Amino acid sequence: MSGPVVRARPPLLPVVGVLWRRSLNEVLRVRGALLPATIAPVVFMLGITGQFGRLTGLDGFPTDSYISWIVPLSCLQAAGFAGAATGANLARDIEQGWFDRLLVAPVPRPLLVAGPILGAVTRCLVPTTVVLLVGLALGAELPGGLLGLLALYVAASAFCACAGLWGVAMAAAFRTQQAGPLMQQGVFLAVFLSTAYTPEVLLRGWLAGAADINPTTHVLEMARQATVSGIEPSLAHTVPGVLALAGMTVVLGALALLGLRRMGR
Amino acid sequence: MSAASGTLAREGRVVLALGRRSLTIQFRKAQLLMPTFILPLMLLAVIASGTSAAQGLRGFPDVASYVAFIVPGTIIQGTILAGLTAGIALASDIEFGFFDRLLAAPVNRVSLVLGRLAATIGLALLQSTFFLLVAMPFGARYSGGVDGAILAIAIAAITAAGIGGIAAAIALRTGSLSLLQSLFPFMFVLLFTAPAFFPRELLNPILRDVAAYNPLTYVVEAVRGLLSGTSVGDPLTGFAAATGLALVTTGLAVLALRERLRTQ
Repeated sequence: MSGPVVRARPPLLPVVGVLWRRSLNEVLRVRGALLPATIAPVVFMLGITGQFGRLTGLDGFPTDSYISWIVPLSCLQAAGFAGAATGANLARDIEQGWFDRLLVAPVPRPLLVAGPILGAVTRCLVPTTVVLLVGLALGAELPGGLLGLLALYVAASAFCACAGLWGVAMAAAFRTQQAGPLMQQGVFLAVFLSTAYTPEVLLRGWLAGAADINPTTHVLEMARQATVSGIEPSLAHTVPGVLALAGMTVVLGALALLGLRRMGR
Repeated sequence: MSAASGTLAREGRVVLALGRRSLTIQFRKAQLLMPTFILPLMLLAVIASGTSAAQGLRGFPDVASYVAFIVPGTIIQGTILAGLTAGIALASDIEFGFFDRLLAAPVNRVSLVLGRLAATIGLALLQSTFFLLVAMPFGARYSGGVDGAILAIAIAAITAAGIGGIAAAIALRTGSLSLLQSLFPFMFVLLFTAPAFFPRELLNPILRDVAAYNPLTYVVEAVRGLLSGTSVGDPLTGFAAATGLALVTTGLAVLALRERLRTQ
């Protein structure tokens, strides 16, 4: 007589760890793989600062250092594109059949994308740090001190995770690498339909309305505590940013999970 | 008809056929076209709305339409993307073997480069017209009239061939699709070191000095002048800068092709 069959539950954390390591290897083992993702936001930061630096002369601009204003934007942009790359890589894995093999593994599906998203968050620290260092070298200020820097890194990392979830949702929906531009342009829209170039009081027309309802505006304000506003004791820029990130994570996470659940059915 | 003019006519047909093929492929793959048509428009919308308060700055020229002031930057951005697309498509042809088959064809090999650049010119003509038309409902007014707009589009198309020449030279020299795909930020240095979205006088002082050596500075100012019907930029200088860029980079692409054939 035999007893009930007890299925051994595979350890979950090692699965995430292995997939995290695999996504890191994609950049660690390919020489120069991180270079475009690092140089692009630096070029944009320098270009935008050079073009629009005089905007600080307008009444209502909260700093006289435009590069201080732009550094957090470029950090979020870099982190967002690193996150969106998760979706492009997943689409490649789906197209090449690798993800089908992962789907038959006895692990919950969310874990299959948790590793790559963690990998993106790890990778985004490189361009974020390079952008920050170049910005500081060119005169960006740090009124927020260490706590401000913490806010900047938390905002960038969590925004990267949100962009990763968006990328996963798009990859699961379209299942082709051709959806890559859609993933990137989602990040582009989220970042630039905000107080990207000027503060809200200087925005005109439809963009003022768009920035008002765009949660990324709050994430950007949270990150700007490092280089523009400093940490306010009332946490007036921290709490809305954290809530915006939590909301985006819930909505985009639900979209990603829905897409993953539909796969293979 | 002399033998020389006969050969020229035949090579002309080759260039047109290759150009048509490149354009057809691009229009059949919407994902290749989306960044070149949509991305510049998105940036135009955001910059026009996000920085229009700049008109209040001392030294900003008195412009009737801020959108029309920004549009030349969008057009130049489009030419960069169109040129880069040409390089990516050429690298793709090289990686997947189609270019080797073209090399076996009994045609002048310079025509292979010119055919690719003809497609870039065609794409830039469509793109620039599209940008100018789309900007109109959003407040862009072109006081330079239709003549000014046509000349501006022509200068933009020649510039696109110039950028396409750089991209083609790199594609022919390296044959690497992934390298071309990662060139995007480097090409944008050309855009940001020109007064694409702001008057030259109001650029950062270092950037202002650098801008004097960037041919796109004269192109964007010429386009701005032609569209606005003012003397912001000299059309002849812009035309000369665009043509010079196109000739030099096409020469570089031809040299890269010769080098490729020599080392193959």
